[in-house]
Amino acid sequence: MTESQPVLQVEGLTKRFFGALALKAVDFTLMPGEIHALVGENGAGKSTLIKILAGVYERDGGRILLDGREVDPRQESLPLAFVHQDLALVDDLSVAENIALIAGYPKRGGLIDWREVTRQAERIYETMKVEPLDPHRLVVTLSAPEKAILGIVRTLARNPRVLILDEPTAALPEHDAKRLFDAMRQLKAAGTSIIYVSHRLNELFGLADRLTVFRDGRHVHSTAMSETSPERIVEQMLGRSVELVRAHREAKSSDASVMLKVANLIVDRRGPITFEAKAGEILGLVGLRGGGQEAVGRTIFGAKQPDAGRIVLEGRDLLLGDGIRERIAAGIVLLPGDRLGESICPGMSLTENLFINPGIRQQSAWRPIVPRRERAETARRLEQFDVRPRNAASLIDWLSGGNQQKVCIARWLEAQAKVLILEEPTAGVDIGAKLAIHDMLRRATRDGAGNGAAVIVVSSDLDEVSALCDRALILDRGRIASELQGDELTMDALIARSSIGSGLAPAHP
Amino acid sequence: MASHADSIAGDKRQVTNSPKPSPRHRLSEIVSTYGLAVVFVLVLVVFSALRPASFLSAANIGNILTSQSVTALLAFAVMMPLTTGRFDLSVGYHVGMAQVLVIGLQVNNSLSWPVAALIVIAIGLVVGLVNGILVTRFKIDSFIATMGMGSLLYGVSNWYTDGQQIAGFDLPDSFTDITQVVSSVPLPAIYVAVVAVILWIVLERLPAGRSLYVIGSNARAAELSGINVARSVTATLAASGVLCAIAGVILASILRSGTPSVGPEYLLPAFAGSLLGATSIRPGRVNVGGTLLAILILAFSFSGVQQLGAPFYVEYFFNGGILIIAVALSVYAGIRRRKAAIAANNG
Repeated sequence: MTESQPVLQVEGLTKRFFGALALKAVDFTLMPGEIHALVGENGAGKSTLIKILAGVYERDGGRILLDGREVDPRQESLPLAFVHQDLALVDDLSVAENIALIAGYPKRGGLIDWREVTRQAERIYETMKVEPLDPHRLVVTLSAPEKAILGIVRTLARNPRVLILDEPTAALPEHDAKRLFDAMRQLKAAGTSIIYVSHRLNELFGLADRLTVFRDGRHVHSTAMSETSPERIVEQMLGRSVELVRAHREAKSSDASVMLKVANLIVDRRGPITFEAKAGEILGLVGLRGGGQEAVGRTIFGAKQPDAGRIVLEGRDLLLGDGIRERIAAGIVLLPGDRLGESICPGMSLTENLFINPGIRQQSAWRPIVPRRERAETARRLEQFDVRPRNAASLIDWLSGGNQQKVCIARWLEAQAKVLILEEPTAGVDIGAKLAIHDMLRRATRDGAGNGAAVIVVSSDLDEVSALCDRALILDRGRIASELQGDELTMDALIARSSIGSGLAPAHP
Repeated sequence: MASHADSIAGDKRQVTNSPKPSPRHRLSEIVSTYGLAVVFVLVLVVFSALRPASFLSAANIGNILTSQSVTALLAFAVMMPLTTGRFDLSVGYHVGMAQVLVIGLQVNNSLSWPVAALIVIAIGLVVGLVNGILVTRFKIDSFIATMGMGSLLYGVSNWYTDGQQIAGFDLPDSFTDITQVVSSVPLPAIYVAVVAVILWIVLERLPAGRSLYVIGSNARAAELSGINVARSVTATLAASGVLCAIAGVILASILRSGTPSVGPEYLLPAFAGSLLGATSIRPGRVNVGGTLLAILILAFSFSGVQQLGAPFYVEYFFNGGILIIAVALSVYAGIRRRKAAIAANNG
């Protein structure tokens, strides 16, 4: 950190898309051996900068210097390593082979030397000082943090000067993210500079050395992490002051009727779980990895079969053998956490994505669709849920992640559900859209389309749970470890309670 | 109530509202939507200018529509499973078997033609259901399952006929009349039109059809929104089987004999028509209007070059070339669309 020569220097970088400026004369400096956080809302220009560095996009102006030498990412291969959210691992290949795909297959006499492929993998994990994996394991059998670490580890085989991480923790629960952070600190100690893009501001403190904020394609501010705060950063990202990030919570009247009751539910031979969700209530289900909160949500939805227990909707017992279609007919719907894999329908319009299954909820699959009525209804919802662009015929592919998510939420909010299960409703969504989605959910449960529904939020974003939920259940190893509500329901309390289960001390600074 | 989130969204109006296709992109969407219609008109104009006397004559149009009705029905047959992303490679052999059986049941078993046709259509439905069960229940890739089924059906045709042609000397007029030209309208064209209207209503206007496209786009999302994916996929393969059988009845009426070697050559033009159709009307997905236009373009342009003196084997170049061009166009359009989406999402 004492060297004065920056590793990477970007000066006056400019990029236009279809005439619109995506980057406006942006400057950015990365020092040796630092972890540099890059934040900004979706569309602020972070991804554009990264894609220019990766040589995916051509720049329209500006200079890029690596170790003081001017370079062109489109023309030469630079010692930069990129790890994107999806990691680009091959599931059906082993750990060692996934490493070899990047590092190269060691050869002997022109043929692949398989023993050396294995040794190469072991060596890389060893130098990284992270918990080693069996090199022969198939990637499909790895846990999410193991995959994330593998995704990073393998890019290091080529000794990059700079490692660029684009939201590698978006899909990771809080606890697993820490393992990744330990790996990053190891790298930093070894002299690698890291650019780290994240939407989770809290995790940056104690991890990053410096921070740069982008807004509207401009470089807004660069500072040492020690001289800023989450509130300051949000203000810089939004370009104005924020009075109220945490939602005002109205006390729920306790006489609201019980909508859903889960009694002695055993899922994956773990449990029992017993809880109630009231009409109009937003209930959080949180926990560490392995807590089982996702499995509970999916079981209530009918996508998973429980081993035993009761699921009672409005006083009526549901059959445990029910599948998804029976549960949807009963009024239980689920927004999947994996937006691209399980939620949106690429290549289809916003209308089609909103009315993905017009035959849902008792309506016949043979009753004709009236396009005019559907378009009008789509326009109303796009307006109500503030989706941009507000064009019913637009393909969902053209929307930003946040707007895609709004469409998916609108899809289920309007299904007149009795129980609405939302998995990670704002994962990978920028902060403006996140607040809008929270507001949308609160209003909908109060007096909107989801009026009277019990909303269950399955989330690893503890900040979100503390801001959005009326009550939260913290699960640990398939059981409810504790419950928080009202004024007790704060981010710190959630972290503390969920960490006790695994014997960890609260990690929030 | 002007909430906090509303005001943020308001501020962001200019900031994150970049996701909008550019005018140039819009234009390319319009071009691809109506592209095939324009090409069809061009084909008509060019060839009628080159062969003014014969190309647009009633006789020629009647010939084209009659002979291509079988291809059109088979293009619809492959289109239905394609909506969900499944292939039916058995259509060529299936139409061959249906054609042989319709003649054989009349000649060998002295059944009346409507009974023979109904039996063949029932068999078509069963074949389609079996395809569906192989694909959904036994999880065999549709490509493999229907390829195997096709060979089985070809075996049945040759077993039933012992590899010989069944001559249809005494076929009743009522059977051969179903593919006649009535007051200058070829009847097969009407059958195709009726099938097209029914399929269009199903795919464009019924929730059941929307479900098919949703499955094709994201099967997992379909499952989680309560769509019965297995049943829907089976239904498309069953529909394909029925359409093959109907095409077989019409083919038999045109040929007036049952020939076991006929059939396989229809597979490629059927796919060419369906996939070329996916580039137009509803770009990016197989659709009824596009498929119909693609078949018309293939038929009229082939007839045109024939009238200009091209030899018979030009047809193979035509079909193969169109298949490759159609898929290349879809891939190119897909890349363009993805680029526009990426550009719109990164500001």
